[in-house]
Amino acid sequence: MRDVIIIGAGGGGPVVAKELAAKGLDVLLLEAGPRHADPREQWTSFENDANNPLSGYFRLGPEDRSRPAWFREWSQNSFVWQLSGVGGTTQHFYGNYPRAYPGVFNDYDKPDRAEYDVNHRFPFSYGEMVPYFEWVEATAPVMTAAMGAKEQTFFRGCETLGLPVQTTKTTLGPSYRPQENAVLQPGGNAGRTTDRNLLTYPQATGCTHCGYCFQGCMRPIGAPRNQFAKRSTDNSYVPMALTADAWASGGRPVELIADAYVTRIHAESRGGALTATGVTWRENESGAEHREQAKVVVMAGGCTENPRLWFNSGLPNPNDWVGRGYTDHFFDWVVGSMDDYTGNPKGVGSAARLDFPPYGGLENVGLPPALNAFATTLSDSGIRGQYTNGRGATGPWDGPAGRVIGPEFKELISGGLDRLLSVLVITDDDVEPDNRVTLSALPADENGPIPKVTFRQRNRTARTNRNREFMARKAAELLRGAGAKKVYRIDWAPLILHVQSSMRMGESERNSVLDTNAEARAVKRLFIADNSALANALGGPNPTLTTQALATRTAEKIFQRYFGGDPWVREESPVVSTDSRISTRLGELGL
Amino acid sequence: MNSKPPLARRAFLARIGLLGAAVGAGGLLPRSALAAVPAAEGDPLSGVVGLLRPVLAELSRDTLNGLTVFVVPGKDRYSAAQGTPSDTPGALEAEGTDFLMNALDNFVPFPDQLAKPIGAALATGLADTGVELPGLDLLPVQLGTLDKALRALLENDATLPLSLPIASTLNLLATQVNPLAVNGPFLSPFARLSYAEKARVFQLLEGPDSDLVALLDVHFPEPLKHSVSGLLKFLGGALIEFATFGAYTEYAVFDERTKQLTGRPVGWQLTGYQPDGPVEGWDDFIGYYQGRTEVHD
Ligand SMILES: Cc1cc2nc3c(=O)[nH]c(=O)nc-3n(C[C@H](O)[C@H](O)[C@H](O)COP(=O)(O)OP(=O)(O)OC[C@H]3O[C@@H](n4cnc5c(N)ncnc54)[C@H](O)[C@@H]3O)c2cc1C
Ligand code: SF4
Repeated sequence: MRDVIIIGAGGGGPVVAKELAAKGLDVLLLEAGPRHADPREQWTSFENDANNPLSGYFRLGPEDRSRPAWFREWSQNSFVWQLSGVGGTTQHFYGNYPRAYPGVFNDYDKPDRAEYDVNHRFPFSYGEMVPYFEWVEATAPVMTAAMGAKEQTFFRGCETLGLPVQTTKTTLGPSYRPQENAVLQPGGNAGRTTDRNLLTYPQATGCTHCGYCFQGCMRPIGAPRNQFAKRSTDNSYVPMALTADAWASGGRPVELIADAYVTRIHAESRGGALTATGVTWRENESGAEHREQAKVVVMAGGCTENPRLWFNSGLPNPNDWVGRGYTDHFFDWVVGSMDDYTGNPKGVGSAARLDFPPYGGLENVGLPPALNAFATTLSDSGIRGQYTNGRGATGPWDGPAGRVIGPEFKELISGGLDRLLSVLVITDDDVEPDNRVTLSALPADENGPIPKVTFRQRNRTARTNRNREFMARKAAELLRGAGAKKVYRIDWAPLILHVQSSMRMGESERNSVLDTNAEARAVKRLFIADNSALANALGGPNPTLTTQALATRTAEKIFQRYFGGDPWVREESPVVSTDSRISTRLGELGL
Repeated sequence: MNSKPPLARRAFLARIGLLGAAVGAGGLLPRSALAAVPAAEGDPLSGVVGLLRPVLAELSRDTLNGLTVFVVPGKDRYSAAQGTPSDTPGALEAEGTDFLMNALDNFVPFPDQLAKPIGAALATGLADTGVELPGLDLLPVQLGTLDKALRALLENDATLPLSLPIASTLNLLATQVNPLAVNGPFLSPFARLSYAEKARVFQLLEGPDSDLVALLDVHFPEPLKHSVSGLLKFLGGALIEFATFGAYTEYAVFDERTKQLTGRPVGWQLTGYQPDGPVEGWDDFIGYYQGRTEVHD
């Protein structure tokens, strides 16, 4: 019998694992995908090798890449970007760690209060969340981003918009700033040279501005795993979980099993309450099944996979909210072509942002050739100049929104990627019950019926649509201000990568799956600790910091409620994930 | 048994490109292959089915050539034919078609789940939708053999490559957009279209009320019905996005064994990416905005 079993080693799961391991609990962490223990051997930084969703080393699938990826159904023009493997989808994230806007918590009382998604607020206050934000910010650690050419260009555009610079962690109003990100600032030679001989640890520390964030960070060369620049959880929380005895007194290392797919959560009635008792998981390679008991089970498989596992386990769904309220920040993509050099594919994928509560935000995003081309051709507005698919909005961009493909795209990139500046529009979208995960009618795979993701991209709330239009216009103005000669709005089809809230916690039991402690209302001793637990889309800020802060809080709740312990975040000081005790122990363990 | 009139089936086979590819001018089969069913042991059709397989593979490849140059035109004759010649390399130089076929046929993990129902629908359901086609003269017996062989293949092949129903779908729509595309240079109707006509094909595929989608859908029970039409809508976008992604990656020049590049990828040539090859870092660090290296509440 384990103390705690955690399902999924992505953005959220390793946080609970590390926190409870530090308290000496016996924790088993099960991950469906591979563990890339030796990135220098396993990765290349080539786009097709890394990011091909069917066969890349970053995909949703088993460790053996000659086997097919796991097919998920989405029956509209959209793309759900989730990864399996230790680190989960954080393996190719950009490390942006902005805090949720205060307006999405239930104590917010500023004049614009009613302009947020008031029906789906966090069931506690912003003030209660702050210590958990601070704890994660210290652990990751979160830093103020260094500036490269593309950030400088983005700021040049921001300076023309008449907004102040944000110099606090909390976003208090419309403003712009360098990202607060979980990327180590460049030290030594990093960011200052292209000579690979000078870019080895410890002559170079932190971010070398290589520009390969999407293909996985393994830099600087020779750095211990917990000192790689980008703090995806495989570089931050997982190393801490595996070495908990080295840096926490009384700590006990987590057992991590990768390539292990959880197919069922077991529950039984105890004292009249349905109670989780353990899980069944399959070795992907051999198909062998294992059953493990635990005092507490934590789901952290992500917004798409949690509802699937819930349904496949036959767990109850009394208010029909399991899988509902799946939000995606209803992204859009606005691209400017410049005469000036922008350094677009260099440096961290995105190191500058603009926030506009309660509408959403903007980020600069640099991409390598294939992903850039993909991003520019994913649209719900048809092909520019050919057809509009019933949309094709016009505005302060050039011509109708739509895909830039064929000769027009070739023309656009003919001056080089580093004459482009691309802006990601992040919408504060409402939680909508019809955007959801159900079980697919297509045949099951080896792990059971598969999930189907439904997005009604043309049928969002008036507020969501208003917010997206507002921010797309701001993006175009920013690009003009930065000197863009031509501006294209793509009108992205749902590109589902900031996923939130499909198993949400909430104030009301009518429209939430989790109570204020992130424990399932319908199943005791079953907690959720990833993006799906979020109460809403946060106002627009990238989700991972808030998920990890909430997961830290959830770890405390688990420890208090089922293991008789005391909370620690307000009492103790966090250990930073780059701590040399962790590096040393990783070395001893050959990790 | 084929209960549809042979004329309708002929139109259908012409529209998916098979009639032309098999026995049209420049077709890949001698007509005599279809003249009479060979009296082989076991399945009397197996000989024709065997002959058909490579024809269908070539037809798929030709159709997808027409698709990949649509998203990234280059110096090739397909790009010229669609009216967008280019003096820089494009999808064919980047082996975009191989990328797409490889992805569809080997990695997209639903050949049975998606390809089979669509394939079956194509084999049984779609007859003449009233589009006037310039005729291809085939005797009923030859036509019957070809048709039966196609059905046998679509309905019974356990490893039906997904690229085939996709190519058939594109060709079917191509002849809806321009009936004259049943004949001409190239093997496939889709590859014969102009750039604007190809765009129109995607308009039909993406549109909410595509006739084709409705036709295919008819053949599935709920709840699969909506899954299949939904998947086709997804494909409308995915084909463009995947073809683009593939053409701009290092696919053609990546050596899996050494994990090194054997040449400069087309996508890198077109975008000026990594002028000196892969890097460990860039001298891109300028400083901190307004000199601020940390913030606090
Ligand atoms: C390109 C890109 C850029 C991004 N950039 C940012 C950014 O800069 N900042 C930010 O905050 N967010 C960013 N995100 C989003 C971020 O990656 C997610 O917020 C985060 O990874 C979500 O964490 P999660 O734990 O909910 O899910 P995931 O990270 O997806 O983790 C879920 C894990 O559970 C595993 N799993 C699922 N089901 C099972 C099962 N049944 N058994 C065992 N294991 C299972 C999966 O394999 C996976 O590893 C980005 C995302 C993408 C795609
Ligand atoms: S740009 Fe920086 S954070 Fe991104 S992969 Fe390179 S070294 Fe890592």
